[in-house]
Amino acid sequence: MTNFKSYLAPATLDEAVDQLNQGNVTVLAGGSDLMLRVGAGNYDPSHTLMNILKINELRNISFEDNEVQIGTLTTITEIREDPELSIKMPLLGQAADQFASMQIRNVGTIGGNICNASPAGDMLVPLLLLDAAVELARQSDGGVASRRVALKDFFVGPGKTQCQSNELLTRVSIPFSKQGFRARFYKFGTRPALDISTVSIGIGGIFNNGYLQAPRVAFGAVAPVPFMALKTMKAIEQSPLDSERIKEIAEIARDEIKPIDDVRATAWYRKQLVHNLTIKVLSDVTDA
Amino acid sequence: MAAIIEKESLIGKAIPKMDAPGKVSGHTRYIHDLNLPGQLIGRILRTDRVHARIISIDTKEAEALPGVHAVITAKDVPNKPLGVTKDNPPLKGDKVRCERDEIAAVAAETEALAEQALSLIKVEYEELPALFDPRQALLENAPVIQESKPDNISMEFDYSHGDVEQGEAESDVVIEDLFKLHYVTHCCMGASGVIADFDSTSGNLTLYSNTQVPFLHKREFASVLNMDPNRIRIIQPPIGGGFGSKLDIYPFEPIAVFLAQKARRPVKLTFSREEEFLASPTRQPAYLRLRSGVTKEGVLTFRTLDSLLDNGAYTSWGATIPFVMMQTFSSLYRVPHCLYHTTTVYTNNPYAGSFRGYGNLQATFCVEAHMDKLAEAVGIDPLRFRLKNAQQAGETSGQGMHFKSCGFKECLTTAAARSDYAIKREQNLKAQGDDNAVKKGIGMASMLHVGGGAKIYPSDGCGTILKMDDFGHVTLMTGASEIGQGSETVLSQLVCEELGLPLSAVTVVNNDTDITPWDVGVHASRTTFIAGNSAIGAARLAREKILNAAAGTTAMPADQLSLRGGCIVIDESGEAVITLDKLLRSLHFQERAELVTTSFYYEPPSVHQDKAFKGDVSASYAWATQVVEIEVDTLTGVVTLNRCTAAHDVGRVLNKLGIEGQVEGGIVMGQGYALTEDLLIDEGHCQNPNFRDYKLITAPEIPEIDLSFIETMDGEGPQGAKGIGEAPAICMAAAIANALYNATGVRIYEAPFSPEKVYRALKGCSQPLEW
Amino acid sequence: MSLTHEIKFTLNGSPVSLTIPLTMSVLTMLRDLLNLTGTKYGCGEGECGACTILIDGVSVNACLKFAVDCDGRTLTTVEGLVADSRNDPLRTAFAEKGGVQCGFCTPGMVMQARHILDNYPRANESQIKRGIEGNLCRCTGYKKIIETIASVGELDNKG
Ligand SMILES: Cc1cc2nc3c(=O)[nH]c(=O)nc-3n(C[C@H](O)[C@H](O)[C@H](O)COP(=O)(O)OP(=O)(O)OC[C@H]3O[C@@H](n4cnc5c(N)ncnc54)[C@H](O)[C@@H]3O)c2cc1C
Ligand code: FES
Ligand code: FES
Repeated sequence: MTNFKSYLAPATLDEAVDQLNQGNVTVLAGGSDLMLRVGAGNYDPSHTLMNILKINELRNISFEDNEVQIGTLTTITEIREDPELSIKMPLLGQAADQFASMQIRNVGTIGGNICNASPAGDMLVPLLLLDAAVELARQSDGGVASRRVALKDFFVGPGKTQCQSNELLTRVSIPFSKQGFRARFYKFGTRPALDISTVSIGIGGIFNNGYLQAPRVAFGAVAPVPFMALKTMKAIEQSPLDSERIKEIAEIARDEIKPIDDVRATAWYRKQLVHNLTIKVLSDVTDA
Repeated sequence: MAAIIEKESLIGKAIPKMDAPGKVSGHTRYIHDLNLPGQLIGRILRTDRVHARIISIDTKEAEALPGVHAVITAKDVPNKPLGVTKDNPPLKGDKVRCERDEIAAVAAETEALAEQALSLIKVEYEELPALFDPRQALLENAPVIQESKPDNISMEFDYSHGDVEQGEAESDVVIEDLFKLHYVTHCCMGASGVIADFDSTSGNLTLYSNTQVPFLHKREFASVLNMDPNRIRIIQPPIGGGFGSKLDIYPFEPIAVFLAQKARRPVKLTFSREEEFLASPTRQPAYLRLRSGVTKEGVLTFRTLDSLLDNGAYTSWGATIPFVMMQTFSSLYRVPHCLYHTTTVYTNNPYAGSFRGYGNLQATFCVEAHMDKLAEAVGIDPLRFRLKNAQQAGETSGQGMHFKSCGFKECLTTAAARSDYAIKREQNLKAQGDDNAVKKGIGMASMLHVGGGAKIYPSDGCGTILKMDDFGHVTLMTGASEIGQGSETVLSQLVCEELGLPLSAVTVVNNDTDITPWDVGVHASRTTFIAGNSAIGAARLAREKILNAAAGTTAMPADQLSLRGGCIVIDESGEAVITLDKLLRSLHFQERAELVTTSFYYEPPSVHQDKAFKGDVSASYAWATQVVEIEVDTLTGVVTLNRCTAAHDVGRVLNKLGIEGQVEGGIVMGQGYALTEDLLIDEGHCQNPNFRDYKLITAPEIPEIDLSFIETMDGEGPQGAKGIGEAPAICMAAAIANALYNATGVRIYEAPFSPEKVYRALKGCSQPLEW
Repeated sequence: MSLTHEIKFTLNGSPVSLTIPLTMSVLTMLRDLLNLTGTKYGCGEGECGACTILIDGVSVNACLKFAVDCDGRTLTTVEGLVADSRNDPLRTAFAEKGGVQCGFCTPGMVMQARHILDNYPRANESQIKRGIEGNLCRCTGYKKIIETIASVGELDNKG
C-alpha cells in the first residue's frame, strides 16, 4: 500500500521550517491536489508527510499600509467571502467564485494552489495580474528567515516553482492597486466553476483618455505556466484603444501564447478563444 | 352513527417515494455497503492492448502472494461466452479485442492485496493489426476481430414498407444528410458491483447483483456457470442507478462467481469510477444517412435510412438498437414509403449496451433535423409541418404499430404554445444578422416510444403475489425491480387504490428471485404498465375476497360494499361497517380467509414483430414534444440551455412527483448527451475515464423546465397510464440542434455540440462528415 | 518511523480513537474502518460530492481529505446529522419533495444542503444551484433537489 515514512503536524512555523530543514518532507495543506497525487502513486515513500493546517499563524488575511497579506492556509472560500477583500481586490473574489466546487473551495488553500503550479491554476492569473509576491520561509540560525519572490518569476514549469525543498510558502502579498485600476478575469468553460480552465484571461489597468495605462495581462492554461503577456501589454500601452486597435491587440495576444492540444481543446481553438476573449475582456475593462 | 368515509384516491397525487426516508438517512445499503463474513475482494486484470494474441499468462507470483485466495484465467473456468450473440467469453484466453478485456482475476483479503496481485501477473502478447474506424470494417483487408465473423459484420437489419422509388418520384423536394452520434455512458452514481456467495453445504449460489433483469439472468447464469438454475438465487440490493446498463450480463459477474467457487469464500467485486468508465457499456455510436422527400404541399413521401453501427469488439444490446430506431423512421410521422438498413460491424472499440431511449435518441436526432429542413424547403413553418404529418389515434403505421390512444398533436400544440415557439422563432431568425455576439435559438423535436411493454422476449409478463395479514397490512411481492425509478411506490399506489388503504399499509418485496414471481425485467419503459396491471389484478382478487367475506358478516350484498380508509363501507353512503383489520382477524381459520392472491399480466395486447419487423409490438405508445431555448455565444461556441418546455402523452399521471422527477431527470440526461458528454475513444483507448473530463450536467447548468402532461387515458394501461421512463431523454439533442440552426443559421450534424465543435461550425471549418 | 498514526476525533457526537495508515482518506476510514456506509464513494476524486461530510461544520469531500488530518476535529456524517432522523425538516423535505430517486447521491446532497443552509440560510435558487455544483446526480435533473433545499431555507422562495 502507498505510504509515507512518517507524519507530523507542527503547530508553529518554527517547527515546520525546522522539519523542512531536515529534508524529505512533503507538505500537506488542504490536500485537494495532494490526495489525488498520492492516489495515483506519485509521492515519495521516503518522505515525511507534514500537515501544516494546524499552524494558525499561516491563516489570516491582513491589510497593511501598502499591501494585503494573505496567509497560505487561507481557503478559497475565505477569499471568495472576505468582505474587505471583495472591496479592495474584487478580482480575487471573482476568481475564487469560479473555482472548483464549494466543498473544494472549503478546503483548497491559496498556498496550495500556488505551490501546485498548474498551468490552469485559477488563482494564479489574477494574482499575477495584481503583481503579487510570495514569501518563502526557511530555517536560518535556529530562527526563521524569509525571502520574497515575485509571482511572475515563481513558476518554472508545470508543477515546478522557485520554492526550495527546505522552504515553506507562508503568505502572498499583493500591493494595493493604484487609484482607478480596473481588472477583469475570465475563465472559459461550460460550467460556472467546476471545470479545469481551457483558457483563462486577466486584463487590468487604468483607463484614461483612451489609453489603458500600466496595463497588466496574464493568461492561464495556454502555456506550461501561467504568465504575464509582456508583448500584449506593451502593445496595449502604445496607443489609444478603439475597437480596431483592440482587434490588433487580440491578434498579438493570440500569437503570444503557446497552447497545446489535449482532451479539453485543440491548440487552434485555444488560440481562437484567447483572441476573441481578449477583445471581450479588454473591451470590458476599457468600457466603464 | 357510523363514521362516513369519503372516497379518496392516491392516483395523480404527488406521493413521496416509499424508499426515500431510508435513502436520505444514509441507511439504505447498496451493494457497495454490504459485506459478508469471510468475504474476499475480487479484482480484474484488464488488458492494455486493443488487439493482440495472448501468448502466455503467468500468474505464479500472484498466486504465491500471502492473502491471495484465488487467481483465475480463461483456462480455469468453463468460459461460455456471454452477450447477445454469445461472442464475449468472461475471461479472454486466446486474444484480446478491446481495452476492457478481462485476462485474469484475483480474490484476496484486501483490495490492496488484490491490486498488488494483479500487478504481479505477467502477460505476453503478440500485437495484431487493429481496426478502429467502423467505416473501414468492411474493406477487403480489414483486420478480423471475431474469427467466427470473418466479414466483421455482427448484425444486419432491413426493413421496408411501401416503395421508396415511387415515393421519390412523388416528391417535390428530396434531401439527404449524414449524421454522426457519439459514445456516451450511463454514469450510474453507484458503480457496478456484485457479491457471489456459495453455500458450503448445499453448493447453492446467492448472487447479490444490480441486474435489471433478475429472472433472465438467473437462466443465463445457470448456463454460463454450468449450474442448475434452481441452485441460483439472485438478490438485488438497492441500486445506484440503472438506465439500461444492467440489462446484459457482463464478464465481471461470472468472474466473481468463478472466484468465489475457487476460493470457497464469498467474493465482492465492485468497480472504481475509472473502471466503470473503461469497462461498462456505452450508448451505441452511429453513422446515419437519411434521405427524405416531401411534396410542395408539405406531405412526407418517403424515407430511406442507411446506418452503420460500431459494434465494438463484442455484441451487447447496443447492436440491437435498430429495432427501436426503425420505429422512429417508419412511424413517428406518417411516411408512406420507407426503406431501412443497418449494418453493425466489429471493431476494436468498446462495446455498447442498452441505454435509456435505446437508439431513439440517435434516430430522433436525424428525423427531427429533417423535419425542420423539409419544412423550410417547402416554406411551411415547422410546427404546422409536423402537425400535418403527425400520427393520430386510431391509425396504424406502415410498420404495423396501432395507436389506440395518441396525444401527439396535443403534445405539439401544447409545447409550442407554452413556449411561444412561433413568435420566438421568427424573432430569432431576424436577429441572426445583427451584431450581437450571443444569439438566441428555439427548436423543437418530438418522439414516439413504446409505452405499454415491448414484445422483445417470448414473454413480456410479470407476476404478483399479494398477502394480507391480520392487521390489514399488505405485502406486495412483485417480479418488477426497483432501480430508483419509483416503481415500488407506483405499484403500491395502484394496490391502495383497489383496497382503499393508505400507502403506509403496503410493504413491497421485489428483490429476491426465491420469493418474487417471474418478471421479464426493467426495460422498454414497461414496469408501470405491465407490473402495474399485474399488481392491480392481484389487488382486485383480494378485494373481491374481502368484500365477499364482509357480505357474509354484515348481511349486505358484496356489490354494495366498498373499501375505503382501511374500512369496509357501504359504497353509496360511505358509511363504515367494519374495519378491515377486524374483518380479517374474524376470518381466521376459515376457508374464505386465505388472503393470499396471485396474479400475472402475461399477454398485453401486443404482438411479436414478424421477420420483416412488422407488428404492433407494444400495448400502447408514448408521445412527446420538447421545445428548447438556447443561447449561442459565437465568440466561444458555448451553447447555454435556458429553457425546456416539454409536453408528454403519459396516458395518465399516477404519481405526480414520480413522473415529474422522471421527466426532469431525462431532460437533463438528454441535455448532457447533446452538449457536454462525450466519451473520447482514441485508437480504442478511452481518453477521459473520469468526471473531470467526462462532463455530466451539474446543477447550475440545468434549464428552466416547464412540464405538461397530456392525459389520453390509455384503455389498456393501469388506471390509464403509459410507460414514460425513457421518453424524456429522447428529444433533447434533436431539439437543441434545431435551436442552434434557428440561432445561427448553421446546422450541425454531429453530436455533442461542444464549444469547439460549434465554434468550428460557425467559422465554417468543421471536419466534413464522411461515410 | 511509523507508517500509521493514531488519531482522536469526535464523530457524530462520540469520541473516536483510531490508528490509520498515513495516506488513507477520510472516506475509506469511514466506510472500511468504521463501517459507516452512508457516506458514498462515487469517484474518489472530488468531482461528484457523494462523499460530502462536515468537518468542523464545513462541507468537504471525504475522498480528498487525509484521515490523519481529522485528529482533534469534529466530523459529522449523514448518520449523525440529527439525533432523531424522523424529525429533521431537511431530510423530510428531501423525501417529500422528490429530491431522491436512486438515492446514491442523496447522503452527499443532504450534507451539502446542510452546509448551505447553515452558512447561507438566505440562499436563493441560483445560489443553491451553485452550492451543489460539486454534487452530481444522474437521476433527478437536480430540479427537485434545488426546490427541496430552497423550501427549507429562510428565503421565501418556496413556490
Ligand atoms: C475536483 C477538483 C476540482 C478542482 N478545481 C480547481 C479549479 O477550478 N481551479 C484550480 O485552480 N484548482 C482546482 N483544483 C485543484 C486544487 O483544489 C487547488 O489547486 C487547491 O488550491 C490546492 O490547495 P490545497 O490546499 O488543497 O493543496 P494541497 O493538495 O494540500 O497541496 C498542493 C501542493 O502544494 C504543496 N503545498 C501546499 N502548501 C504549501 C506551502 N505552504 N508551502 C509549500 N508547499 C505547499 C503541497 O505539497 C502539494 O504539492 C481542483 C481539484 C479538484 C480535486
Ligand atoms: S467520491 Fe468524493 S467527490 Fe466523488
Ligand atoms: S438520485 Fe440517483 S444519483 Fe441522485
